Amino acid sequence: MRFVDEYRDPALAASVAARIAELAPRDRTVKLMEVCGGHTHTIYRHGVQDLLPDTVELVHGPGCPVCVIPMGRVDDAIAIAERPEVIFATFGDMLRVPGGRGSLLEAKARGADVRIVYSPLDTLRLAAEHPDREVVFFAVGFETTAPSTALTLLRARERGLRNLSVFCNHVTVCPPIRTILDAPGLDLDGFIGPGHVSTVIGTRPYDFVAREYGRPLVVSGFEPLDILQSVQMLLAQLAGGRCEIENQYTRVVTAEGNRRAQEVIAQTMELRPSFEWRGLGEIPGSALALRDAFAEFDAERRFELPGALVPDPKACQCGEVLQGAIRPWECKVFGTSCTPERPMGTCMVSSEGACAAYYNYGRLGRGGRAVPA
Amino acid sequence: MSDAERCITCGDVAVEARVVALGPDGAEVETDAGCEVVAVDLLDAVCVGDLLLCHAGVALERLA
Repeated sequence: MRFVDEYRDPALAASVAARIAELAPRDRTVKLMEVCGGHTHTIYRHGVQDLLPDTVELVHGPGCPVCVIPMGRVDDAIAIAERPEVIFATFGDMLRVPGGRGSLLEAKARGADVRIVYSPLDTLRLAAEHPDREVVFFAVGFETTAPSTALTLLRARERGLRNLSVFCNHVTVCPPIRTILDAPGLDLDGFIGPGHVSTVIGTRPYDFVAREYGRPLVVSGFEPLDILQSVQMLLAQLAGGRCEIENQYTRVVTAEGNRRAQEVIAQTMELRPSFEWRGLGEIPGSALALRDAFAEFDAERRFELPGALVPDPKACQCGEVLQGAIRPWECKVFGTSCTPERPMGTCMVSSEGACAAYYNYGRLGRGGRAVPA
Repeated sequence: MSDAERCITCGDVAVEARVVALGPDGAEVETDAGCEVVAVDLLDAVCVGDLLLCHAGVALERLA
């Protein structure tokens, strides 16, 4: 890979960390939230927090589009998958996410035809090869992934496929940032902005964070040096009394984003009035549904779904973790009733969820804090 | 945890891939994990040799 060596260089990291230490305040703690599961993963895997002074705290937000899917929607997916005529195609990410009635993996073990795909475009071939079956794609992900679903819909129309539909659960990244900023008591000083989402949407959509809420945001790449440089840029803004949207990930992100990607999304999908996010409740304008023009490909219109609102298990504190209100190790069931092998909530299921990331990488060395194995 | 175990949506994972051929369904690209075909509908004039940023089977950007 082209950039890995430079962006993981320990000497460079030490030099950026030194600059961060100079910029960090002495008299208060600065809280910076990242809203991207990929950033959570990097921070834990490479021990980025350990390179930061005690007064700079990284907080994990709702940046994992799998973690935020409510249990009721997983149940809807299972209801579709259990239909004998259906081939249910999904990213591997969703297989172990627990709904109210278990997971897709468990449904598969019971005989549902659930297949992992690496791209929704793979479902075009599945549909063509199995004209007697209904192929349904479980569409999840932020704006990074929505273009691939959009292109699949456009190609399905071009090819006249009648046996393909999409169960659309795409979510958008700006509304939950707004929800977090509106939540009382979180006291965030700035944001590390999502990387590849911004490749699609650009950096302009984040302007409201600075303009309306007076917080800086720096769009960041995914290597350790990217995150460190983004932290440096945020601290420089705070120290200098600036409040702007900046782009650290200039090698792939532009202010305008990918216009054609935005167009294909707009052509095939529209914002839902509201959508339930696990742990955050209903957020207006935060998710996508297929437009009427693509109704024939909409699994929600093709199949009858339970559509139940399923409350999270009482002991589950995923909501507080997703809001950054508590850390993974502060959850009462972390590492005991809730582990990667037997996850209770999505923060532990997804390898990018804050809890799984911390469980896999972070437990040894957090100030000697002992966590049960 | 290996990179293969990561979730592409959760991790917002995109891979860099070099174009080795162009075809009717998109570009054939070489990644660390081998060859695959990605859709290039979202980019202008993709050529053999281009380095693309790909996610879920779609090229989202040409690397600067």
